[in-house]
Amino acid sequence: MKHWSGFGVLLGIAVAWEIAGRFGFIHKLFFPPATKILTSFVTMVVSGEVLRHVGVSMWRAGLGYVLAAVIAIALGILMGYWRAAYESFEIVVELLRAVPPPAIIPVAIVFLGIGDQMKIFIILFSCAFPILVNTIDGVRGVDPVLIRTAQTFGLGQARLIWRVVIPAASPFIMTGLRIALAIALILVVISEMVGATSGIGYFILDAQRSFRIPQMYAGMLVLALLGYALNRGFLLADSWLMGWHRGAMERQR
Amino acid sequence: MRLPWKGLLVLGGCLVLWEILARQSGALAAYFPPASRVAATLIDIVKSGDLPPHIAASLRRFAEGYAIAAVLAVSVGLALGLWRGFYHLVEPLVELLRPMPSPATIPIAILFLGIGDEMKIAVTVYAGFWPILLNTIDGVRAIDPVLMNTAATFRLGPWQRFWKIVLPAASPQIVTGLRVSLAIALILVVTSEMVVSNDGLGFYILDRQRSFQISEMYAAIVALAMIGYALNRVFLAVDDWAMAWHKGLTRKEER
Repeated sequence: MKHWSGFGVLLGIAVAWEIAGRFGFIHKLFFPPATKILTSFVTMVVSGEVLRHVGVSMWRAGLGYVLAAVIAIALGILMGYWRAAYESFEIVVELLRAVPPPAIIPVAIVFLGIGDQMKIFIILFSCAFPILVNTIDGVRGVDPVLIRTAQTFGLGQARLIWRVVIPAASPFIMTGLRIALAIALILVVISEMVGATSGIGYFILDAQRSFRIPQMYAGMLVLALLGYALNRGFLLADSWLMGWHRGAMERQR
Repeated sequence: MRLPWKGLLVLGGCLVLWEILARQSGALAAYFPPASRVAATLIDIVKSGDLPPHIAASLRRFAEGYAIAAVLAVSVGLALGLWRGFYHLVEPLVELLRPMPSPATIPIAILFLGIGDEMKIAVTVYAGFWPILLNTIDGVRAIDPVLMNTAATFRLGPWQRFWKIVLPAASPQIVTGLRVSLAIALILVVTSEMVVSNDGLGFYILDRQRSFQISEMYAAIVALAMIGYALNRVFLAVDDWAMAWHKGLTRKEER
């Protein structure tokens, strides 16, 4: 962190916020001073109230995301590798992908109720498409020379996919997984806003509706920190998993 | 054009399977009406004028929000990409706001803007802003320094350098951002209409579910999917037309 000027700006905004909040420049009730928001943030964290909601949200988002990854990568390899599978399912995938995920929420409520299953299904549905589409692109883009070389060396179909196709397509798969991570967070918040009694999305909307305004802002701060942490975690995992790839690219240059 | 008959066959198979499954029992059909009934309902609610106003409301919000987000994000992104000092000033702020899931702004938007169009458009602008901004910054940063040096050698003024070098060179990344935002803006329009509204497709879909008009709910979802598909198609067509020079250029390089 070499550029302190940015943190100065951030601090300036916080101070301006504090002043505007104290004197009610913007709105007496709706715009509380920054210190008040921070206090309720600390209170919420210490009392464990917010951690419970975050835990519930993370469980939903995590399970939906992992299921989506497993299904979409498997299907993506299938569709990317076998032309017939691609041609057969392309239209269905394109049509389903065009549905904005929140529109699926009412359908999921009809079938699964308003519990965890509904939210996990929504997250699974919305995360699957970016991963699927990127995996297909990645597998289709694998250099045919690689595949033919592997075949010359007598690799069987399963080992060919495991040792050649998946590693070669992995940068694309990772791109899909990163897009899906952001979407999982968005959809867990949305599904908790539309029908839930727990989770951080519910918490924020409930705080607004019952005019616990500092809590609402604090909940948003929690979400921002959570998103930041998840993104960092993903980048770490990415550089650990894909280190070999970056090394290979550098050597080529 | 060759007809993708395999794909159409599978699609037809899915629809027939849907029809047969839904006709199995009356109890199931209440939750899961057969495809033919959903199609008939869709034609009905479009003809009776029940659905079109909701479609229009959603499309208007989408168009306004997306357009504002695009103009705002491209201009801020260009400025941030060109001036490092400016970028360093706002970097922590960007890093803090960017990972926050955009629907979290709905409650705060309700507080300040009420439950009308302004709130929905503001939320759509916020959500659509980030992908375009980040891609624009990346695009400007990734411009080959040789291009800029060449421009300097030819004594191009800053204005010309901007129009002839920066904007074209960054445009592929800007288009990528615009494409990501298209989907996200549509998601946020629908979501904000679900959380609080009395018109729009998001409202219509959730409202029909709550009043157990399940066929209408499915019909509206199909309509929304068609709109999403059409928007994507239009985007790709515009992209093909606007970026044809770029695609021609990169193709030549590959050979």
